[in-house]
Amino acid sequence: MLPTYQDNSVNFVNRLAYLRHDPKRGDVVGIRLSDPGITRPSLLYLKRIIGLPGETVAFVDGQVLINGQVLDEPYKKYDCDWNLPPVTLGPNEYLVVGDNRSMPAKYHVFGKVESDHIVGKAVL
Amino acid sequence: MKIVLRVLSVAALVAVGVWLWTVLFPSPEKVIRQRLATVAKRASFTADESALARLADAESLAGYFSTNVEIDLDVPGRFQLTITGRDEVTQHAAAADSMVSSLSVKFLDVTLTIGPDKQSAVADFTVEARAGGDPDLIVQEMKFTLRKIDGQWLITRVETIRTLSILNLELPRAPSIV
Repeated sequence: MLPTYQDNSVNFVNRLAYLRHDPKRGDVVGIRLSDPGITRPSLLYLKRIIGLPGETVAFVDGQVLINGQVLDEPYKKYDCDWNLPPVTLGPNEYLVVGDNRSMPAKYHVFGKVESDHIVGKAVL
Repeated sequence: MKIVLRVLSVAALVAVGVWLWTVLFPSPEKVIRQRLATVAKRASFTADESALARLADAESLAGYFSTNVEIDLDVPGRFQLTITGRDEVTQHAAAADSMVSSLSVKFLDVTLTIGPDKQSAVADFTVEARAGGDPDLIVQEMKFTLRKIDGQWLITRVETIRTLSILNLELPRAPSIV
């Protein structure tokens, strides 16, 4: 999640953030890698939500398109040239991506995630 | 008083018996967890270890896999790799030893599902690996399929799980060693 979050820094995830509402676009969330049955996962990904359930998301020359409309991303520090054909998200799926878009897309860990893998919202 | 002592003695004997039973006949879950921990330990090595010790570890590691094991690795941004058979496991383990100065491997958050026949099992977990000289951690969700063969739990299939699934992006393939 460079440059928003630095390597080896201590970060906190609010597990109660989504008790009363669903995750929102732009939220940075902690994502478990392990089975949802494990209540205290050892490792989490930190990623930003750009696509919400039911939406169609695409990358065109580095710009994110949500249902065909360009997404304004003020948090993005680096331009990129990523291209990704449109992907339609399921009823419980979010599309998450890191802020470090300076690397080629194939080296970046991003994609669809089921809501039960979202542990909470990152606290700055 | 005598009755109380007798009851306590019997309870102590039963407790010792149960403890002995679990030591002598551990559950499949306990055995598999111990074997997975050993696999992670065998896959790890420090910069101080001699080449001979590393080779011995590589050969020992292969012993935890079945002869016809299928390994399908797809680590985003790192490599894609397919290994078939125990001999290839040894060769790739030995090659990995010579490519990095040290390697620390941990299996975290292991979830085990034992088959109804108690002869097969599936282990899901997260691998955390750190290679010497590489500032980045390798973090990958994995799935091992195991079978009890000749009394030993052997790994028959290894596959990576894409936590964030989406893309049909082409990743660089690791060079074939065989």
